Amino acid sequence: MKHISRLFLATGAAFILAVAGCTNSAGVPDNSKDAAEGYDPKAPVTLTWWTGQTADAQALAEKLAKEYQAAHPNVTLNVSAGAAETGELLTKLSAAFTSGNYPDISYAYGTWAAELAGSGRAQDLTTFVGDPAMAWEEFPVAARATATVDGRVIGVPAVVDNLGLIYNKKLFDQAGVPYPTDTWSWDDFRSAAKKLTDPSRNVYGTAYSVAGSEDTTWHLWPLLWQRGGKILDGRKPAFNSDAGVAALEFLRSMAVDDKSMYLDQTNEKYLPLFFSGSVGMVMSGPWTLYDLKANKVDYGVASLPGFNGDHQTVSGPDLWVLYNHSDPNRAGASRDFVRWLTSKEVDPRWNLAIGNLPLRASEKDSAEFADYVKTYAPGAQKFFDNFANAKQPRPAVTGYVEMSGYVGEEISKVLQGAAPAKGALDEAARKAAPALTNG
Amino acid sequence: MAERRGVLARGLTGWAFAGPATLLVVGLSIFPTVWAFLISRTRWNGIAIPRPLGWANYRLMAEDPELWDSVRHTFVLTALFVPSSILGGMTVAIALSQQVRLIKFYRTCIFVPFVASSAATGILASYVFNPQFGTANELLRRIGLPPQQFLEDPRQVLVVICLIALWGQIGFTAVVYLARLQDRPKDLIEAAMVDGAGRFRILWHIIVPELRPVTVFMVVWQTITALQLFDLVYTTTRGGPLSSSTTIVYYVFELAFQTRRYGYGSAVAYGLFAVTMVLTVGTILYSRRSKVEAF
Repeated sequence: MKHISRLFLATGAAFILAVAGCTNSAGVPDNSKDAAEGYDPKAPVTLTWWTGQTADAQALAEKLAKEYQAAHPNVTLNVSAGAAETGELLTKLSAAFTSGNYPDISYAYGTWAAELAGSGRAQDLTTFVGDPAMAWEEFPVAARATATVDGRVIGVPAVVDNLGLIYNKKLFDQAGVPYPTDTWSWDDFRSAAKKLTDPSRNVYGTAYSVAGSEDTTWHLWPLLWQRGGKILDGRKPAFNSDAGVAALEFLRSMAVDDKSMYLDQTNEKYLPLFFSGSVGMVMSGPWTLYDLKANKVDYGVASLPGFNGDHQTVSGPDLWVLYNHSDPNRAGASRDFVRWLTSKEVDPRWNLAIGNLPLRASEKDSAEFADYVKTYAPGAQKFFDNFANAKQPRPAVTGYVEMSGYVGEEISKVLQGAAPAKGALDEAARKAAPALTNG
Repeated sequence: MAERRGVLARGLTGWAFAGPATLLVVGLSIFPTVWAFLISRTRWNGIAIPRPLGWANYRLMAEDPELWDSVRHTFVLTALFVPSSILGGMTVAIALSQQVRLIKFYRTCIFVPFVASSAATGILASYVFNPQFGTANELLRRIGLPPQQFLEDPRQVLVVICLIALWGQIGFTAVVYLARLQDRPKDLIEAAMVDGAGRFRILWHIIVPELRPVTVFMVVWQTITALQLFDLVYTTTRGGPLSSSTTIVYYVFELAFQTRRYGYGSAVAYGLFAVTMVLTVGTILYSRRSKVEAF
């Protein structure tokens, strides 16, 4: 029996060594030359595509993949959602990098861009998107900036959006308050929210998520920018400037002094409450259009309220990230597919069909866009026009995700009256600094 | 030689039986455990190349106020949950071991919440306890009590989460006690009755001592359940309001999967593992020494 246990020990030791190898991220491809150099468009290739979609959108993705394969018989596309929930894709990708078995193309939230670039597995697409055939300038500026990490393009926009002010007309009529306009100031917003609030009927003027995730954090950025503030200065936190403190103090006054703001602990309740007529206004984006229609809400959309006439908003674009497998044919074929998918001919049948805004400005003349605007009136046209107000991108740096967690947590404290705006933002900046400088 | 071959063959037969299960345990438990330990000595966001830190993550634990807050919340929860789930389960089990009509129906009713997944329980409960729109406040209003904030009040949230956990877990403790009560010593009870003992004295001097081994086991089991509470917190409060319901496991989740600090998250997970291990071994040693055969 003894030698068997010795055998077992030896296997155990070998196994621990194997595990030790896992975190060393072995097998990073050679990124010194272009991943698609020497691409042969006729070579047979098999590509894996993680769509990050569910239900109807996933079915449509599979249909489009079939269509592409019919036109390119040498390409086989393995299409899957990649993860049960889009937010879990990053964890799945991280596991896939460790095992070396990662996809060719995957959906990714814009905030992940810097981390994915840092993995060493993402293709450098800078020259590829520079090709006039790609018409890179047609994508919204914030979306292009999100795909660019330290001057290197690592993905192509997959979904574009922005925040506007959505309001429930019925609640405004009941309270006798005029509808929001595109020239509203934040004071107009605050006084309207106060008038709409009616504790006896459980009606709130507006709502804000205090779950402390990115949903909490990014709603603060447009207020900060409108006051001339910046999120980062180089790689140092700058959101705790006077502009940031004033922006957060404004939200605090509504939540704590006026009590006109419903604070959602989970970030999953405030939209349903808006749909059911318990919240008068929400700062949200085009992803609500489908539910607004399904719930038959009588609503309107305006630009975000502004400060000194500046009504800029924030955009949260998502990306298709392409990965390098040290095989020029796979790299070239995945580029060709993504160019096709995001082209102005195919994108209307993809994004517009599933209720998203068009990726490219040039799609506005298509028949699909006219249809889309009609189906999702009045929101669709307004959110499309609101792109003009999306002037700055969220920073594409490693450590943004960690920083966002700290900022979100501190915003939650302030809105629940547990901390002053200045001290809270300073605390978030202090915690975030090491993550931003060290990655 | 023949004898040696026999030993070898027997060894191999043994491994043939134990092998598949061993591989499963190694692959699904030991592998992640070892890997998590290696990760806990690095700074890693899950994607970039991990940076070795030595024991820095473990040292960081000592001076992390948020960790100690989550430890405090976990201990409050455990202190509320373990005794009440055991007393509640015992009471329900003794009640259900009586000869009553429709007893099978009552037993099923008590057990059903345990079968429901705690994620579903949490989502349901977050509607019931919603301060603005929930039925719990409606009930309070009808009986003339002031409305409460429940899950949105930092002072009430742990009690409410404990109540929700009890709703799901009492069925489990009750069933375990019930199993033990099925084979209670009838002769002892009869003897006590002959000697003139009342129902309460039989309960206190015969039935409750009979339940002692089960109770030791339940204490360990429910303590581990309370220490590892996660899904209820995730579905009801996400650790809020103001981090007042962040338990240790929820804190680990937040560190690893929200702020993407896998290294520090793994170190905290190891800390929890060590504490759980010490508690379990301590209880086993205690029960052996005091001759309660729970393990």
